[in-house]
Amino acid sequence: MESKFPSRRLPLLILLPTLLVCGMFLYYPLAQSFSWSLLRAAFMGLRTLYVGTQNYVRLFTSSAYLHSMWISIVFAAGVVLLGLSISLGIALVANRKVRGARIYRTALIWPYALSPAVAGTIWLFLFNPTAGVVNFVLERTVGISPDWVTSRNLAILLVVTAAVWKNLGYNIVFFLAGLQNVPGQVIEAARIDGASAWRCFWKVTLPLLSPTAFFLLIMNMIYAFFGVFGLVDVLTKGGPANATNILIYNLYRDAFQHNKWGMASAQSVILFVMVVGFTLLQFRTTGRKVHYGG
Amino acid sequence: MKRVLVIVMLGLLVFSGLVLAQEKTKVVFWHAMSGTREALIQRMVDNFNLTHPGIEVVAEYKGSYRDTLNAAQAAAVAGNAPNVLHSFEVGTQQLLDMGIFALAQDVIDQYGVVIPWQDYLEPALNYYKIGGVQASFPWNSSNSILYYNKTLLDKAGVTMPREPTFEDIVAISRAVINAGVAEGGITWPMHSWFFEQWMAELGANLLNNDNGRSGYATEINLLDPAAVTIMNWWKQLYDEGLWINPGRESWSQARQNFTTQRVAMMISSTSDVNLTQNAAFDGGWEVGTAFMPVPLGFDRHGVVIGGGSLWLTKGHSDAEMKAAAEFVVYMSQVAQDITWHQSTGYFALRKTSLQALDLEGWYKLHPNYKTASDQLAESQISTATQGALSGVFPDIRTYIEDAAEEVYGGASVTDALTKAKGLIDQALVDYKELMGG
Amino acid sequence: MAGKKKMLDWYFWRPRLSTLSTHLVLFLAALFIASPIIFAVIKSTQSTAQISTYPPQFGIGSSMAENYKVAWQRYNLGRLMVNTFGVAISVMVGKTILSLLAALALVYFDFRFKGLIFIFILVTLMMPVPVRIVPLFKFVSSLGWGNTFWALTVPFLASATGTFLFRQHFMSIPTSLVDAARVDGVGPMRFLWQILLPMSMNTVGAMAVIEFVYLWNQYLWPLIIISSNKNQMIQMGVKQLTVSGPEGMVHWGISMAGVVITMLPPLIMFILLQEQFMRGFALTEEK
Repeated sequence: MESKFPSRRLPLLILLPTLLVCGMFLYYPLAQSFSWSLLRAAFMGLRTLYVGTQNYVRLFTSSAYLHSMWISIVFAAGVVLLGLSISLGIALVANRKVRGARIYRTALIWPYALSPAVAGTIWLFLFNPTAGVVNFVLERTVGISPDWVTSRNLAILLVVTAAVWKNLGYNIVFFLAGLQNVPGQVIEAARIDGASAWRCFWKVTLPLLSPTAFFLLIMNMIYAFFGVFGLVDVLTKGGPANATNILIYNLYRDAFQHNKWGMASAQSVILFVMVVGFTLLQFRTTGRKVHYGG
Repeated sequence: MKRVLVIVMLGLLVFSGLVLAQEKTKVVFWHAMSGTREALIQRMVDNFNLTHPGIEVVAEYKGSYRDTLNAAQAAAVAGNAPNVLHSFEVGTQQLLDMGIFALAQDVIDQYGVVIPWQDYLEPALNYYKIGGVQASFPWNSSNSILYYNKTLLDKAGVTMPREPTFEDIVAISRAVINAGVAEGGITWPMHSWFFEQWMAELGANLLNNDNGRSGYATEINLLDPAAVTIMNWWKQLYDEGLWINPGRESWSQARQNFTTQRVAMMISSTSDVNLTQNAAFDGGWEVGTAFMPVPLGFDRHGVVIGGGSLWLTKGHSDAEMKAAAEFVVYMSQVAQDITWHQSTGYFALRKTSLQALDLEGWYKLHPNYKTASDQLAESQISTATQGALSGVFPDIRTYIEDAAEEVYGGASVTDALTKAKGLIDQALVDYKELMGG
Repeated sequence: MAGKKKMLDWYFWRPRLSTLSTHLVLFLAALFIASPIIFAVIKSTQSTAQISTYPPQFGIGSSMAENYKVAWQRYNLGRLMVNTFGVAISVMVGKTILSLLAALALVYFDFRFKGLIFIFILVTLMMPVPVRIVPLFKFVSSLGWGNTFWALTVPFLASATGTFLFRQHFMSIPTSLVDAARVDGVGPMRFLWQILLPMSMNTVGAMAVIEFVYLWNQYLWPLIIISSNKNQMIQMGVKQLTVSGPEGMVHWGISMAGVVITMLPPLIMFILLQEQFMRGFALTEEK
């Protein structure tokens, strides 16, 4: 305990800015989310009425909200399954020792720096029925020309693929980092013992990668729940018929288009409970910390 | 001596000029018009500032109507609302209830600004008249009309009547598709506004309590035969592939469908006349216009005036209030009114402007503008065509658009409308309760 | 002879074929990932007429200069990018300083409730903007910060991630260093500046990339809190790209040109600091 500086005031002083910002802009608004969730409000809170737990009761009995929750789960599942399997496949190949591995690595992970809104805009164009290229290819090859953003199932597919594409780089980075921890000798030993490549992957590589995969599972779920707002706003605005109205979009609509601040705050609280759930799950399983990019 | 005097005089002049410049009353004006319209507004504002040396109006574009209204609310919370706000017709009840706006008539009376209300078109004033009092200043008014591609219709061997029926639209759509001249028959933005227009055309109030005008509305009339008829027709068009869906509230994709001749007809705002004519001219085809279609056997009651009006916020100094009032009055004076109409296609609001335009031969040259103003002139005055008032209009529109999307996703018309009615009625009652009504 | 034998030997060819197929797969994967951007770049050079022809053209078009110029001017991208740079740099620097200071306090000092304070900071990881969006909006507006630079920066200055990363890093530094510093009479601030900071450059670099990309790509918060175009952030410019232009239609060539312009800064930042980013991330992974 001698390896410390002696002052007792200075540490508090240099912690103060962080504590102040946390208190004023994180804890205080979060606490207020709880109190606002018991109100009905209009005009950005210029008019309020205490309604107790009515907002929660309504949310959990509203088929629209439950649908939004369901869509979020479907969406997250799509992003996680597609995203993780594609990026794991690419990372396995990229991990082989070949010439130019670094250049390949850069060429594979750069979409990390793209924004969800950019991904959405490009997708909107690629899948545009009058100007896009996807419909042209489809029409030439299978003879169909669907209106992507106005069909419910296609719109989900559109949003999922855009979200997966944008996040591939992020996933590949972590899988590559995780693969560094898989010792080459172990694989080699297994191969010499006559194990097939496939068996090796299942029995050796995958178990060693599972901490990374689990971390990515949580991060991709958080990305699917919170990170894709811009993508949805640009591509579908939650439509058609709420087919892509994920929880975060529903929250935004209620808060800032319908000005239902009480109802929106209740949704914030529900999201908070979900985040706490995710985080505890992650702590419990791996003891690792989560980074939200914020 | 003389030189000194001249210098002193000049100095005084400069000084007084500086003082005057500093004493300019600043009026902040937030609006929701982008692109060429934004530029036009800026020119009108510049002209106003030139001709009113004591006033400086600062105009700012704030995004869509919804964005502009939200920005104004946020600014009001923070205590720096703009002096003049441009808002859409459906925000009217909210703006009234927010309590940060002054009624137009009150400001006019209090500051002795002259405005010849009797020269304004009745329907334009009516929407914004609450309990007989003028609440805001009508400004950019439009309604919806039917545009059609005359060239394509000729190729398909069909013609468009001036006042078409729902059945005409179906027949013409089938004809152009069968003739192979277009991919679809008709398009319009997937927007509740058109549904509201049809309700008015069929003489049905959208909301109870006289469309929310004799008290807070508590119910929406979505199970009215008129509503069901409209939705059934819409469903038929969709199911047969006659209507092409451009996407939710997507005005631009609708125009694109029409101007690239993917479809032969479009229903859109009268303020699209200019854009459409230019595109047709570039593409070498001819555009025609007709009234909104109505179902066979229904009387035509007319359309609701849409668009926006100008609101004054209260709580500013007398000088600012008066300056702001002078500015909004200026924006619809005859000269500005005519420029605005000619460059955008929004209605001319003043009877004098209409006469001047007629004398000038404007309508002869531009018969498509004539369609719009005839349709408005032939509208009957009733609570249905006066338009609905509600503080939860954004919810109403969301749920109606959801219902439409569900209908062409395969749900039955009555199921979708019943569901939307449940959600909207709840929102209406909640709002009434919150306002203590 | 030996050469001929080699040619027929599968065990000679097998590793070479495998290398070749690795290259092929990696190349195709890279192409697949890049293809949407390649289309965007190609289309950003075409005129409206070229874009609306059927079948679509996949060559470089004729109005590249025009599209980029119009996108730049019509959507005010220069202004938005300058704004975003200002916000991103301020938050990056502020966050780094604040989390360095917090980590310094947590590792090199003893005081009461230290563990509790660390947890207090760490728990904010569970508070992304959406779970507090309405009160945050109201609070920031009531401070009079609506539509200002302050609304975009101050609420984001505290960083649990940064504090955590620097704390972990400091703890891995031998304690003999601080003892030596104390013997030499070096104060804590000089210790931070002269000894700790130079040893933490990987973490600083990783933070810089993460934060720059995060801030550049921020969407929801500027959408609601910034009301004037002149103070707006770049992603709102992207949102505008899909809204119709003065012709009442979306001009996709111009939109794609705008997209290409707006995605360049974070991309360049990312590629330049890639090594630090990878190492900084590997750090989070291992600890």
